[in-house]
Order: sequence, then structure tokens, then C-alpha cells
Amino acid sequence: MADEWIPAAIYLVLCLAAPLGLLFGAFAVRVRARDQSPAKFDTYECGEEPDGVAWVRFHPRYYIVALLFVLFDVEAAFLFPWAVSLRDAGLIAIVDMAIFLGILLVGWAYAVRKGAIEWQ
Amino acid sequence: MNILLGPLAADLVLVIGMGSVLVTDLILPPGDKRLLGWGALYTLLAALLATFAMELTGPAIFGAYVGDPVALMFKRVFLAAGVLAALGSLTQLAERFERRQGEYWVLLLSSVLGMSLLAGARDLVLLVVCFELMGVPLYVLAAWARDDRLAIEGALKLFLLGAVSSVTLLFGISLLTGICGSTMISEVALYSREHTNPALLLGAALTLGGMGFKLGVFPFHMWVPDTYQGSTTPFVAFLSVAPKAAAIAALVRLLIAGGNALLVGVVPMLITLAAATLVMGNLLALHQTQVKRLLAYSGVGHMGLLLMALATGTELGLSMLLFYLVAYLFTNAGAFLVVHAVTGDEGDDLALFEGLYARSGWLAMAMLLFLLSLAGIPFVVGFWAKLYIFLAAWAGGLQWLVLLGALLSVLALYYYLRVVISMFMRPPPTPIEPIVPDWGTNTAIALCLLFVVGMGLVPGPFVEAASNAAQGFDGAIVAMPRSTAP
Repeated sequence: MADEWIPAAIYLVLCLAAPLGLLFGAFAVRVRARDQSPAKFDTYECGEEPDGVAWVRFHPRYYIVALLFVLFDVEAAFLFPWAVSLRDAGLIAIVDMAIFLGILLVGWAYAVRKGAIEWQ
Repeated sequence: MNILLGPLAADLVLVIGMGSVLVTDLILPPGDKRLLGWGALYTLLAALLATFAMELTGPAIFGAYVGDPVALMFKRVFLAAGVLAALGSLTQLAERFERRQGEYWVLLLSSVLGMSLLAGARDLVLLVVCFELMGVPLYVLAAWARDDRLAIEGALKLFLLGAVSSVTLLFGISLLTGICGSTMISEVALYSREHTNPALLLGAALTLGGMGFKLGVFPFHMWVPDTYQGSTTPFVAFLSVAPKAAAIAALVRLLIAGGNALLVGVVPMLITLAAATLVMGNLLALHQTQVKRLLAYSGVGHMGLLLMALATGTELGLSMLLFYLVAYLFTNAGAFLVVHAVTGDEGDDLALFEGLYARSGWLAMAMLLFLLSLAGIPFVVGFWAKLYIFLAAWAGGLQWLVLLGALLSVLALYYYLRVVISMFMRPPPTPIEPIVPDWGTNTAIALCLLFVVGMGLVPGPFVEAASNAAQGFDGAIVAMPRSTAP
């Protein structure tokens, strides 16, 4: 019983040792940037200079677009393995996918009809 | 292909109806969407008819679902609650939420679908999925009056506590499946009969806690009064009955399966919860001045009785539980529908009920009978329901809990009679404005009244149906060792 837990215990010790060791090592060696220019403390925005703060209220339409993206992202995630194994799975897989796509299609039609995609 | 869909005919009706309402909503021009409400109502009625007209027994979806008489009985309770809520909300939606009708009906139908599948879930995965399918639409529906701060507050509380309850439930179920090595409830029950493991007990207790949130038993009841007060009242008529019955259905499936394998361990917890719920629900109801909050706390108290019946773990307990749920459905939904007819959108202060008898004799008499039934006065159904639960609990060895329940029933009479006194003995505000409820609410109240009085005068056939259902329960019930009784 106890033998089974030895690997887990070693793993736990390693997991704790790695970050703590790095942290204390960094303190001991005193690694830090020599250059203290303001750009060092700025938000990294892929080279763009950030404009304003990020603590603002975002319009809900961003979330709606994100939701729609997830809808089709998941669809794609299911379509690829389906396409690969289609030869073995046969007719039933086609019917299943048709039902799945049909449900997503209704969701898409709903979003379009209710104006979720109109960006005003 | 052995996916047998026969026992799922009623659920398929719901799926088709739900899809049709959604698509019709897209096709219909904005302006007149009353048709959608009718579609949803007919869908629910058709599914309810299917549970009577068709043979819906047997396993389905690779054995993950079973249509046994208990599942069928629960299904009817959910569908009837859906029909009553739909009748009550038809006019309100068309007038107050004209632009958002389609979503309301689709969400209501999907919640009923979740419950309806949950009733027969024999697989823990299906159970969790159905639990979410039932719960998520409720969060949205609770916030339907979104311009009302109370509605937002209540819906947010329901959502946050609902999320916590889902997490608790999932943790409990993952423990059960992890230890027993199967997601089938029968396998879990078999394993836990033969092995003792504290983690199994923890799993069952966490599952019970997760369901406790949905049931609104003390100490998980905090969302109940706030959500009831904020939500639109016809929806509360649904929320106060159907999800609770669904949580009880899931508990029955899980705990009583395989001869109470999991129930035995959690009986002390169930009894404690039942006693605390009975006491706190009734005490907190005493001083409420808002009718919906009063009914909410009284509903919390009623959940204590259901837990009492569940804790017996006997066939008698299960059958009386089923009978009680049917009685509670019509009584509680009826009471909330009367509140809807009387108060409309003007809040739910007890003062609005003053002199109701002079404003609408029909509503006052209906409310009187519903309140008497909730209190458990003879010749309305609530009396038999309560009596049978007490008898089952007494036979099951929970005598002190029965005495406590009986004592608190006397206390409960006080706060129910406060509403009655307000309705009949206080002068109405002058000038007297008569109340004429819309036809849908009227029909729903009349249906509730029919069952409350009918089942009160002739309880026999319904008790018999409940007993037969309990006899046919899929997880065979054998006598539970009563070593854990306090």
C-alpha cells in the first residue's frame, strides 16, 4: 500500500523543489535587469504602445462574437477526427454528423436572425 | 444499432417541440409571437399525453436510461408543472415580454426535458448532464424581468449557488465513480454493498449536498426566498415544484438503488437535514410580510418532509414520497398562480391581499383551499400527503421526527392563516377594484383546484398509483438495516 505512494511522494517533492529552488536561487544570485527604463515596466502589447488602461467596460458584443467563435471552433474540432475515421465508421457516422451540424446550424441561424453578428 | 428510443417517446416529443418553437421564432415576423406559447403548451400536453397513452417502460440509450414506473410518475409531475407554468405565463409574456417570447418557451421546454430524462437516469454521466440541462435554463428564466433589480439579484444568487451545487455534485460523483470503477448506479450500489470506504460515504454525502442546493433544504436554502421574490410568478410556480421533484428523483435513483446501498451511510445526515429544514423553514416563515417569501419558506419546510420520507428507505416511504410530490405540485403551483393573478407586477406584499374576498371571491376561495392544503387540513390533498408521510416515517422508525413534524404543522397553520385573515377579514382598499385574471391563469388555477379538492376527497386511486409505481422501482428495494437510527 505504502509502496504505491512513493512515486507520488517523490513527484510532490520535485514539484515543490523546482519552483522554490529557482526562487531562492534568484534571490541568492541577485539576478535582475540592469536597465530600468520605463519601457521595461510597460504592458507588453506585441510592440504596440498601449493606449489607456485595460480596466474598462467591454461591450457585450465581444462576448457574443467569442461565443459564436467557440461554436464553430468546437464544430471544427469534431469534424477533423470524424473525417479521418469516416471510412471505418460508415453511414451511421454521416447521419450522426448531419444531426450535429443541423443543431449547430439552427444555433447559427438563431444568432444571425437575432442580430448577433451585426456590428453597430 | 441497439439505441432503443421507444421509452423516450415523451422526451422526443419535447425535443421536436423545442426545435420547432426555436425555428418558428426565427421565421415569425416580430410583432405577434403568441403562436410560440401555444406551440410550447401543446408540446407539453402532447408529451404528457404520451406518458399515459404509450408504453414507455424498459431501458434505453445502452441501459443508461430506464423507463420504470417511478420515472414515469416523475415525468408526469414535471410535465404537469410545465403545463401549469405555461398556462400561467401565456398572457404575461405576450404583454410584458413581447420581444423575448421564443427564448422563454425554448428554455422552459429544455429544462423540462432535462428533468424528464433525469427521472430515469441509471448512469451517473447521464444524471449529471440532465441535471445541468435542467439547471442552466432556470438561471436565465429567473432573470426574465431583467429591468427589476430584485430579479437580477435573485437570479444571480440562484446562478452562483447553482454553480457551487454542480461542483459539489460533480466532486461527489467523481469520488463514487472513481472508487467503484463504473458510472452505472447499479454497479456503484453493488460495490458499496460489499465494501466499506470512507471516501464512498464522502461521495454520497457530497452528492446529497449538491442536490440539497437544488432542493433548497436548510442550510442550502438561501437562494430560495430571494429568487422567488424576484422572478416572474408563473415561473416561480414551476421553479418551486419541478426542479425540487427532479432533485428528489435523482436522489431516489442514486440512494435507494440496490437495496439502499448508499442510503445507509447518509441516513444520519438525511435525518439531520430533514429536522433542521422542518424547523428552520417553518420558523423563518413566521414573520414574513411578503407572500412569495412566505410561500418560499413554507416550501423549504415541505422539503424537510420529503427528506423524511426518503430517509425511511422503504417501499412505503418511496410511494408516499411520490404521492406527496403530486399533491405538492398542484397545491404549491396553485398558490403561486393565485399570487400571480392577484399581484401581477406589483411586488408581493401581504397588503395586496387585504380584502381579496371582496375583490375576487373565486381567487380568495382558491387561495384558501391551497393554503389549507399546504397546512395539511383534512379534505384537501395536503392532509393525506402529510399524514401518509408521517405514517411511512413512523413505520420506518423515525418517530421523533414525526412528532417534530406534527408539532411544526401546528406552527405552520399560524402563518398560513395570516394570509387567510388578510384575505377575508381585512377591509379591501377603496374603491374596490375587482380582479379579473387572464384566462390562462384562471384555467391553471382551476386545474390545480380540481386536483387539490379531488385528490383530497378521493385519495385512493392516486395512493394506489403511487404504491404500484414504488413496487415497480427499477433498483430493487430490500429492507434496510436500521442500525443507524438515532
